[in-house]
Amino acid sequence: MFHQTHTRCIVFAISMLGLALYVILGGFFAGEIVVKIAVLAIIAISIDVVAGFGGMVSLCHGAIMGLSAYTYGVLTVKFGVPALPASIAAIGVAATFGTMIGWVTGRTSGIFFIMATLAFGQMAYTLIFKSRWLGGDDGMGGLPRFDASDFGLDMNNTVTFAFYAIAGIVVCYAAAGCVLRSAFGRTLAGIHTNEARMKAFGVNTILHRARAMGFSSLLSGVAGIIAAQHTQYISPELLFWTVSGEALIVVILGGLGTLTGPVIGAMAFVLLKHQISSLTDYWHIVIGLLLILIVVSGGRGLFGQYEHWRSTHTQKTAKTNYA
Amino acid sequence: MDAGFWVLQFLNALQFSMLLFLLSIGLTVIFGLLHFVNLAHGALYMMGAYIAVSTANQTGSYWAAFVLAPLGVTLVGAILYFMLIDRLRTANPMNQVLVTFGLIFVFLDLVRITWGDIALGLEVPPSLEGSSYLLGVHYPTYRLFIIFVGTMVMACLWLVLARTQIGAMIRASVENGAMASAVGINVSRLFFGAFCVGCALAGLAGVIAAPIFSATTGMGISILIPALVVVVIGGLGSLEGAIVGSLIVGFIETIGAVIFPSVAAVSSYLLLAAILILRPKGLIPARG
Amino acid sequence: MLEVRNLSKSFGGLTVAKDISLNIKLGERRVILGPNGAGKTTLFNLLVGELTPTSGDILIDGKSVMRLSVNERARHGLSRSYQKNNLFENLTVRENLMLAAAAGQDKTTWMMKDCFNDPAVHEIVADVAERVALADIIDKPVRSATYGNRRQLEVGLALATKPRILLMDEPTSGVGPAMIDGFHQLLQSLPRDLTIGIIEHDLDLAFDIADRITVLNFGEVVFEGTPAETRGDSTVRDIYLGDWQINA
Repeated sequence: MFHQTHTRCIVFAISMLGLALYVILGGFFAGEIVVKIAVLAIIAISIDVVAGFGGMVSLCHGAIMGLSAYTYGVLTVKFGVPALPASIAAIGVAATFGTMIGWVTGRTSGIFFIMATLAFGQMAYTLIFKSRWLGGDDGMGGLPRFDASDFGLDMNNTVTFAFYAIAGIVVCYAAAGCVLRSAFGRTLAGIHTNEARMKAFGVNTILHRARAMGFSSLLSGVAGIIAAQHTQYISPELLFWTVSGEALIVVILGGLGTLTGPVIGAMAFVLLKHQISSLTDYWHIVIGLLLILIVVSGGRGLFGQYEHWRSTHTQKTAKTNYA
Repeated sequence: MDAGFWVLQFLNALQFSMLLFLLSIGLTVIFGLLHFVNLAHGALYMMGAYIAVSTANQTGSYWAAFVLAPLGVTLVGAILYFMLIDRLRTANPMNQVLVTFGLIFVFLDLVRITWGDIALGLEVPPSLEGSSYLLGVHYPTYRLFIIFVGTMVMACLWLVLARTQIGAMIRASVENGAMASAVGINVSRLFFGAFCVGCALAGLAGVIAAPIFSATTGMGISILIPALVVVVIGGLGSLEGAIVGSLIVGFIETIGAVIFPSVAAVSSYLLLAAILILRPKGLIPARG
Repeated sequence: MLEVRNLSKSFGGLTVAKDISLNIKLGERRVILGPNGAGKTTLFNLLVGELTPTSGDILIDGKSVMRLSVNERARHGLSRSYQKNNLFENLTVRENLMLAAAAGQDKTTWMMKDCFNDPAVHEIVADVAERVALADIIDKPVRSATYGNRRQLEVGLALATKPRILLMDEPTSGVGPAMIDGFHQLLQSLPRDLTIGIIEHDLDLAFDIADRITVLNFGEVVFEGTPAETRGDSTVRDIYLGDWQINA
């Protein structure tokens, strides 16, 4: 069951402030890093919603993000649709695709679900990769950013765009928190804990799961828009399975089922990747080992471990006070 | 398009099915026994291909590679088993999946470090070069060899499972591990044995595929996904399911690519979706 | 209210339910008796839809529910408690009841509002907690509850969906006499328009609360009648040979 604690709020707020500060002080490079963190954080939040609270570990959210980016690209570049309606449509497409996957896999449990999402994610990748109209391997360029001149903002400015991305994290985090704390989120957690009983209460668990995937895909869709507008270029690589894999690792790294953990995980991951990549070309072996290490040593992740330490620590102090 | 064309397509489909079968049978038996989905299975197949290439380069013989690659992969699998997998047998399924998923990444780079990023080829052995005349067509002898190996493995596995005592013990352990243990079957040794056989089959699939597909860093995932589709369609844990599943997927992918090229790319995924909706446990699941 | 017509279930050569027919009227308290393995829980599983029968029909309010899934039948007012506790172990008693109550009120899909704050849900939870005597541990995690408390919650969950037909599978199994008394009181307090089916092993309790009794053996109905008739029947007595003394 989702509980937003003071710790989580504070840690999240500090993270956002930290990112904002980094952007202001760090210039272009910092702006780039922060946008990368934002995209990853939002995907990780969306995975945490279904995996951490619904028990549905998904390996297709990267592909869903990519699908949103491609829809945005196709609508703006090929059809000249203005940026805002194109974004809304793209997010809608992501949510629809996610709902369909959720509905198809709704009758299956954990392992099947993971395999199925991996398969459907690669299916999306293959379709886009093979499409000449979509640019195939070369991808598509010339994607526009929002025109915010009415608000006096220049989206082409690195700092402005980075702040826009940070705002994206905040909105998605709040939305996820709101939904997890709602009747829908409570029921989802119930289904995760004891699906048979929830069915016996009259809940259509398959439909519920499909909707959860739909909402979570909506969030990934938002990440897709930010990613597309950032580089103003999309390629099939966005949908490759390693993107979903890395996003899943981010969630585990930060702490599954905490909602704040994925955000911390994204920050740690991007910064780590940057450090390691400057030393070696073999980044995958590092994150692979990292994932294994985290899971084998308890699986709580950075933030999860911190929360655990705090709760045992406060218990200990409570006990000593009693004595 | 004459009959000859269709015979060719049929043989192509059969050959691809055999490859899928070799890979998916390891995956499905390991799940059936250990309730463990080893997502790194595709990576083991990849290792098999690369080890085969190196062995062939060192010894100049395809056949040496044919024997040593499965052994090499089994060794890697055994090390993995003692270091990680045995420990994870009692862990919750998600942790198992995550760890094997991490292994995919690890193997990916290990292969890159050892063998580089370029695709490596393996020569077909002289005895299997050229084509043979079969069913009215000329078909590459090597591909016929693949069909032959696949059929042999299918037959052997079926015989072992259906007719031998070990087979009975395996079937009992798949059906009800706790009970099997209670009647004195050394379940953990059986599991280790089955795991090794699964790894050997993955390695075998690798050495067989290498002359056709070349050893590449992407081959692990590109075969894993069809293998997963086979296993879900066929039903986790059953030999019959793996046979039926690999034939279905193999034929759809191959013949589909000829008849409906645009749909073929997604046809096995559509089938996957249909199975997930209509028969989530697969066509022939091991447990009723 | 709840009618079963010639219900049968076989697993290959094994028949676990054979041509079962019964008719439970609105508000009736029907007790299902029978030795272990008689097929009582199987019957419940068939009624709620967790098991698909080989043949036969199940009707609620005169309409067949055979094609309906477990959750669809629940929405028709069917609810059941399990022989083995089937709770949400990592949640509190209150959260357990909330999930059931929200589902019963069809308040599970709001994405903006929290059903745990809904007054109607709150009221149901408070009422049920009171009825099953769990009000004082309502905010404790289920993990820390005693077996007896869990049994109470098990029944509470089935009640919290505000069903029209309540099926209870050995609700008092493993609990002490004090709790059996409490259960007795709970039954008295339940509204008379609630139709109840109970699988019981405690024969004294069964005879006390039942309007009618159905006795199963080897998957078949071997007797049906009032408690008095049941006590006097020789077939029934043979089945329960020595298990009880006739209270004169």
